[in-house]
Amino acid sequence: MKVVGITTQQEVYVGSKDRNFRINEFLIIEDPYQDNLLGEVVEANTYNRYIPLNIYGDFVDSSVLESLKALGYNIDDDTIYIAKVRLLNEALYPIQTGSDVRIPKFTEVKDIMVKSKLGEGLVLGVIKNTDDLAKDMDEDLKGILYTFEEGALIPQNDIPYILDLKSMHHYPHIGVFGGSGSGKSFGLRVILEELMDLDIPTIVLDPHYEMDFGEGAPYLEGTGRDFKDKFKCLQVGIQIGVRFEDLTAQDLKNLLDAASNLTDSMNNVVDILFKPKDSYYSFSNRLQMLTEAQEEGSLDRIESRITNARDEEERKAWIERRDLFINYDKLCPYNSVRGIIWRLRRLGNDGVFSKDIREIEDGLQQGKLIVIQGSTRILQVFSTYLLNNLYHKRRDYKDALYMKAGADYFPPFIIVTDEAHNFAPKGYDSPSKSILKEISQEGRKYGVFLIFASQRPTLLDETITAQLNTKLIFRTVRASDIQTIQEETDLTVEECKRLPYLRTGDVFISSANMGRTIFARIRAALTTSPHTLNPFDELKERRQEDDDRFLDIIMAKLPINDIDLAQVALEIEQETGTTYTVKALEERLKQMVNRKHIRKEETIFGYRYIK
Amino acid sequence: MNELNSILRERVKDLNLCLREKYDYLFGLSKKELRSFINSHVGEIKKMDKLDTSQLALYESRGGIVGVDGSVNRLGGAHPHYVEVYQALAKSTSQKEGDLVLADLYTPLYFDEEEDSLVDEEIIIGDRRNEKLATLELDVAIESVKKHKPYAILMDGGLIRYNIHAHDRWTELRQLCEEEGVILVGVIKDIKTSIIGDTIKEIDGRVSNRYYDREILFGQLDYGEMIIIKDEVSKKLARGYASVFLRSSLAPSVIGMDIIDSQREHIQEMARLVFTLTPENSRGVPLWLDIVDKEVLISDDIMRSMMEEYLDRDLYERFFVSERDKRS
Ligand SMILES: Nc1ncnc2c1ncn2[C@@H]1O[C@H](COP(=O)(O)OP(=O)(O)OP(=O)(O)O)[C@@H](O)[C@H]1O
Ligand SMILES: [Mg+2]
Repeated sequence: MKVVGITTQQEVYVGSKDRNFRINEFLIIEDPYQDNLLGEVVEANTYNRYIPLNIYGDFVDSSVLESLKALGYNIDDDTIYIAKVRLLNEALYPIQTGSDVRIPKFTEVKDIMVKSKLGEGLVLGVIKNTDDLAKDMDEDLKGILYTFEEGALIPQNDIPYILDLKSMHHYPHIGVFGGSGSGKSFGLRVILEELMDLDIPTIVLDPHYEMDFGEGAPYLEGTGRDFKDKFKCLQVGIQIGVRFEDLTAQDLKNLLDAASNLTDSMNNVVDILFKPKDSYYSFSNRLQMLTEAQEEGSLDRIESRITNARDEEERKAWIERRDLFINYDKLCPYNSVRGIIWRLRRLGNDGVFSKDIREIEDGLQQGKLIVIQGSTRILQVFSTYLLNNLYHKRRDYKDALYMKAGADYFPPFIIVTDEAHNFAPKGYDSPSKSILKEISQEGRKYGVFLIFASQRPTLLDETITAQLNTKLIFRTVRASDIQTIQEETDLTVEECKRLPYLRTGDVFISSANMGRTIFARIRAALTTSPHTLNPFDELKERRQEDDDRFLDIIMAKLPINDIDLAQVALEIEQETGTTYTVKALEERLKQMVNRKHIRKEETIFGYRYIK
Repeated sequence: MNELNSILRERVKDLNLCLREKYDYLFGLSKKELRSFINSHVGEIKKMDKLDTSQLALYESRGGIVGVDGSVNRLGGAHPHYVEVYQALAKSTSQKEGDLVLADLYTPLYFDEEEDSLVDEEIIIGDRRNEKLATLELDVAIESVKKHKPYAILMDGGLIRYNIHAHDRWTELRQLCEEEGVILVGVIKDIKTSIIGDTIKEIDGRVSNRYYDREILFGQLDYGEMIIIKDEVSKKLARGYASVFLRSSLAPSVIGMDIIDSQREHIQEMARLVFTLTPENSRGVPLWLDIVDKEVLISDDIMRSMMEEYLDRDLYERFFVSERDKRS
């Protein structure tokens, strides 16, 4: 390998007669006039001056090439390989053309490739095209992961990519971007497995119910591991919720707004009607009473209700309504109060107010990964409250520490979410956005970090995007997203051009810490998402199960004559509680015949079903 | 249209007329007539087959085929401020690392003999160029016979010119090939002979014009046909060679091939080899020679960068950078 052609201080071309180059591989250039220089292949080409079979405009047919081969000459041997190599650090002078080029030894690239010690960073995968370098790699870096490619587990041949977790302190927050099916969720899963391995307290907002780590990945055939004691899935409204008594008026407004946007007047209603230490019941009751009073329409009518009350209880209730009416009717328009009631009920019905976040806090204190599940809407609401709450706990603790005051310990933690643009959309406000924005800008100081995944970087709030110091970019096809990526990362034009063609699971990792982009492949996850089942496989499986259950019931009853069908249907109903009409039973039996589980036989009396 | 153009237009019309007149006879001949004339007076028209792979493999085992070609490039301005470089390459199909290259250069600034200003400068240059090239090509060919003992050598261009421009070396190569049993042929892209035309003239008294073979044969042979020129006809051209014309590609033009006399028994076999190695959609040159030709070429860029790198800057600029180069 030699440097060829015109060189600069930043870029050279390297030619080889027998070694094909790969993009992103590293080469050392031995310029006799300056120190060895390390460069990375950014473009790889092959060139054969006789192919494309065109010499002086003549088109060469393959039979001639075959003839030449028979004569001992293979035109492919005249292929030369050319790489465009970008230097990692600018050279003092333009590189000497003709300089020798060689593959680096591991020690020469270790510092730039492996930024973190094992056990301190996240082992996310391998740096692609580093197999030549990996041969004399430190033993402890070998064989620490598998990749999963073309349906097979592949042993590690390359240098591992270890994301330097500690550097988050200086370069906080991670973005994970890529189109549908590009490997974002899978990559996120790997990140989360690594976080669990290191016992990093983590909150995952999981609108897809896919971040479960209880099941080993099928391709590991049981040799995988689970993280059962390292994570917890909690559903909003079931295990966790908001303790109404802890809410401030602002919290409540955020929550209600997340349920459905609040008007100014509605905001007002909350400010006026919400009292500290209100319970869900006391607050909603107050609203309810006020509207009932307002529905009466005038003070006179309410007074007459009081006078005409049938019993003491009713009288008291109307007095209460009257007082509310007097105090609040002018300030709180009826429709706005109704609007608040409606929103409050909606949250209440979702169970949001029936639990608290104790389990989450405990989990974080124990260094666990807490997966919070719920619909996107619920999560938007809940996360607003939750993140405010947790972030402030952490902040209060750190501030108190700073002021040398005593405070309860609250650990640093990481917030992870897929579909992040739902939580922090660009261009319009959403309740969760302001807290996330605050964390993106200030979180570093307190040790609170974001890991945001999104199909659409373009839809994510740009202040936050700008704060994501490390970005994992998977296959991206949409031009507007490529544009955003180009603006927000140090990906080169060449790399951006490759984005639409990346294989699933291949990723550019652009990190301020590395100072350049690394091309990596995400390792095989150790666990699997609970619903990776193909929907068509699911159908088949489901049908199989149904059939098995049905066969279980009828096998003992075979043979079944057509005239006995009614009797059999009755028996089945008695034994299993499942009701079949004669017609339905017959349909089902026919299906079983079609699927060759049983047979149908003509007899002189008609037909019958047999084994 | 302005005056100038209209004069030119008349000239072109005249030319058209002249050509029509001159070639009236030739164009009047039907393909059939012409072919039968060739068959009986010039040589047999024969259909040939391509060689099959086993035959080629046999050649490979006997040393493969060597292609030989040369190239010239020139840098600088008018006489004597220029350099000419010559390069020749012998490339074997079966020896991957065995390319033989020789190069030489010439500039009147240094080598100049006594200048005879009466002789046309261009003729001297042309002669010297031919001589240098022929010598280099023969040298690489000789070396490759010694080193590779190929089955055959294909020279780019007719063999006759070697005898003219580098007689001694040619004799050496020829004898060496005869001794070693290496078949020696020349492949001629642009045939410049007029064997057929001359024969027509000889036989048909009415014809006084000179017709060149390439004009006559254009479109008259079918793909894969050759004319093995009779001994007595080719002898009129030059002694010591046997020749064929062949149409080796789908293009209507015809190429030529020479072989040394003593090896004439191989002439059809070699014509078939040339045919086999020629892409059907080409101008008729065997691919191997095109490959050699491309490789031996010295591009202007390489030429210039070599001069810039290995000549001292002041020398280079003073002698070889013409005013025109400076402008560009
Ligand atoms: N690193 C990888 N190695 C092997 N297979 C992978 C890898 N990444 C993803 N896959 C496979 O590709 C499929 C799609 O990946 P994934 O679900 O992560 O896509 P996604 O980017 O999250 O898409 P979407 O935006 O539609 O959710 C996965 O089911 C998984 O089987
Ligand atoms: Mg996904």
